[in-house]
Order: sequence, then structure tokens, then C-alpha cells
Amino acid sequence: MKLRTSEYFIREVLISLRRNNWMSFASVGTVAVSLFVLGVFMLLVLNMNRLASTLESQVQISVYFQDDIKDSVRDKVEEDILEMQGIESVKYVSKDEAMERLKERLGDQKYLLDALEEKNPLPDSLEVTVKMPEMVETAANAIVKMDGVEEAKYGQDVVEHLFDITRLMRIFGLALMVLLAGATLFIISNTIRLTVFARRKEIAIMKYVGATDWFIRWPFLLEGMVLGFIGGIIAALALRSFYAAMAAKIYSTLAFFPLMPQYPFMNYVSVAIIVSGMVIGTIGSTISLKRFLKV
Amino acid sequence: MIHMKDVSKIYEDNGAMALDHVSVDIGKGEFVFIVGASGAGKSTFIRMLFREVLPSSGVLEVNGRDVTKMAESEVPYLRRGLGVIFQDYRLLPDKTVYENVAFAMQVIEAPRRLIQRSVNSVLDVVGLREKYKAFPSQLSGGEQQRVAIARAIVNDPAIVIADEPTGNLDPETSWDIMDIFLRINKSGTTIVMATHDKTIVDTLRKRVIAIEDGHIVRDEARGVYGYEA
Repeated sequence: MKLRTSEYFIREVLISLRRNNWMSFASVGTVAVSLFVLGVFMLLVLNMNRLASTLESQVQISVYFQDDIKDSVRDKVEEDILEMQGIESVKYVSKDEAMERLKERLGDQKYLLDALEEKNPLPDSLEVTVKMPEMVETAANAIVKMDGVEEAKYGQDVVEHLFDITRLMRIFGLALMVLLAGATLFIISNTIRLTVFARRKEIAIMKYVGATDWFIRWPFLLEGMVLGFIGGIIAALALRSFYAAMAAKIYSTLAFFPLMPQYPFMNYVSVAIIVSGMVIGTIGSTISLKRFLKV
Repeated sequence: MIHMKDVSKIYEDNGAMALDHVSVDIGKGEFVFIVGASGAGKSTFIRMLFREVLPSSGVLEVNGRDVTKMAESEVPYLRRGLGVIFQDYRLLPDKTVYENVAFAMQVIEAPRRLIQRSVNSVLDVVGLREKYKAFPSQLSGGEQQRVAIARAIVNDPAIVIADEPTGNLDPETSWDIMDIFLRINKSGTTIVMATHDKTIVDTLRKRVIAIEDGHIVRDEARGVYGYEA
């Protein structure tokens, strides 16, 4: 495209944005809100995926003993586990120690334990670490069959639950995305329709003097793209502060939660959001041009 | 320049036959009046030349291009070789005289230096060089039509097509406009003009093509209007 032609297009877009300022404002707002909601879902799904895979890759098995077993049985289990293949380490956690940990984890809310009145319902346990995540399941299945062992838990059930939730959120997010994209397309194509209408005389003259169809279409496509772009930027900025605030809140209560780190993750998300805005804007104006611009 | 053979036009929406097997040739540098009552097919004839209306059947060649077989994407290039002028001027109200004329060159992506030179030169032709900064609302009807003529000829078309260009103007102003058309014609540009102005046609004695009920009923080299004014 020739330089002066681009200049001409840019000027046309600016004039048009100013002329339809309220519609432009509404379009940008709709794009921003829609993309923000989409972004929130994206963040949720990505983080839950990450949480699930973090848990999945955990190589730890918690082995809980039956109540009131003899020390010899406990020692035997510990020895047997150590003899198994692929075991990295075994650590004994007494019920008192477990209680201490629970109190620590509850923090401000440890008064909840007062109700127990010095009785400790927690079992003795072993923390077994395997060398590779793939070995967790086999190891846990073998350990649970040993004498004196009540339960051998590892991340699997939690992971499966998380994946279920993630799947649901993906479906919900997708449905929402379709809905919001529809609304956004509608309002953008309406804005462009107003522009086409406001400039129908100009368009007619352009046709009489031999402007090509693409020359006539470009400013409208660009206008839609710019509306989507601005909306995308607003959504991306809002999403960044939202994620920063959420991350701060989550870390202050759940320090070990495996959140996606903000950088460079949020940069990718921002780019994705802005690009989606531009794509939606362009599609919106294309719809309008097809319907209202007979060139 | 213009070759029409057995051209018919039936409007699909109401089935009306606006032109019925019309054949005519117009050569380079001719000045042709198209006359006839309203609804006789004059307007269809004129609008076909720049392919605003597509013939239903027949052969139509304009400026060496086959209009009937032309792809949509070629239409702009057909129109770049034509200058079109309407009764209602069709200027852009928020653009100055200069900008209105330059617009016709911008949208076909002419080089900027050429635009400036050509616009100034056509504004000289129509005598509006001094008013280049004025907006259409600040001009008289005659002046607005002169801007429209400047816009039509700024890309140096081979054919100028005018649909009742003096229809909204008083007789004196009409003559000023006709004077410009005669000058353009003298430089070799073909002119096809639909008109209702008996005095102009009868005074200038150019070729006259009369259309009635979709047929060419008269085609005279130095014709007259032939109807009661």
C-alpha cells in the first residue's frame, strides 16, 4: 500500500471515530468488557491446569497407619517401603508432629482445634517420596496392601477432580465466549454500519471516479480493527491489575499455591487478548461491509 | 468510443423494459445530446455507459472495454476513463472546492505532486481557481456544477458523461456551463449529455439522439431538440 494512501486511510479512520464518538465508545467498552471476562476465564483455566499438573507431577505418597499399632509393625512397613524399587526417601511423621503442622497451616484459625480438647485424631504417617511421578501409582498400590497401613494417598484423586472442574470451566468459558463474541460483533458491525451510512455520498462518489472496492473498504476495516484494538488494550490492562491483585491475595493466604507467575505469562495473555480484539473488530466490520456496502 | 449493439434493459424488480434493442455508435471527440421525455430510457442509456446499470442483453463497449462481460473488479478501471456529472452536483459538503476535486485523484492513488498540478489546472479551466478554499455551501449552483465538472475531468477522461447538468440552473448560468463543456470537447474529449434544455440543443446544433419508449427514434448529425420545451 502506498504511503500517502495509508495516510489517507488513517485520517479517514480518525474522522470517523470522532464522528461516531458515542458508538465508538460503546464498541470499545463492549470489546473491553467481553475480552476482560474471557481473559478471567482464560486465567482460571490456565491456572487450574497448572495446579492439576503440579499435583500430578508430585512424587509424594502419604501413608497413614491404622490406629494404635505397634512400633515394630510400623518399622517393618518403613523397611519394606525402603526396599521397594524407585523409592527416594521415607520420612516418619508422628501424630503430634502432624498436629503441629495442621496448627501452622490453619494459622489464625487454629482455635478451631480447641474443640478437640487435647485429643489428637490424626494418625501416624509416613511421607514417601518416589523417584519419578510415573511410579507413584504402583508404589501406592503396593504400600496400601501392607499390614498396619490404613491408606496410601497421593495427588491422583485431587488431580482428577481438578481436571473435571477445568473441563467444565472450559465448556462454560467457551459458551460465554461465543455469547460475548456475538454481542461484540453485533455492536461493532452496527458502529461500522453507521459509518458507512454517514459516508454513503462519499462512497458513491468514490465509485464514480473509479476507486477500487478495496480502497473503499479499507478505512472501514481499519476502523473496526482500531475499535477492537483499543478495547483489547483496555481489557489487557484491566486483566493485568486484576491478576496482580488476585495473586497477591492468594499468596497471602495460600503461600504454596502454584499460580502462573505474572511475567512473562501476563504478557502472552495480553497479546492474545489484544489480538482477539483486533480479529473481532475486523470480522465485525466485514459483516457490516457485506451487508451495507454495495461496492 | 461507445459501441452499442442490440442493447436491451429490463429492470428485474418491475419488469419494465427501459431500452429495447438499441444500437448506436459514438466516435472519439463527438458531442452528443441525448433527448427524450422523462422515463423514455435516457437515464438508463446514460447510466449504462459507466456501468451503474448493466445491460440485460446486447453488446456494449465503452472506451475499448466490453462492459457486459466485465468482471466487477474491472469496473473501477472503466470509470477512471470516464468523467460523470449529475444534475445535483454531488459534492462533499465538508470538503473545500480544492479537496472535492483532489478527492477524485486521491482515491485512485495518484501521486501527490500530480494531484496539485492537475487540480489547479482544472480549476483554471472552470474558472474557480480563486475559490479553491470555499465550501460548496458558499457557492452558487453554477459554481457548484463547475466544481463537479472539474472533478469529472481532473483524471483526464476520454469521455465525459453528463446527466442533465444544467437541469437546476438558470439560463444564463447554463450557458456558462455549456461553454465549459464546449471547451472540454474542443480538446478532444467525447461528450455525451442528457438534457431537457431545448434552447441549448437548438442553438448548438450538435448530434442529437432522441429516445422514446426505449427506442432510438431519431439520430441526427446537426439535430434539434424536436419537442415542445
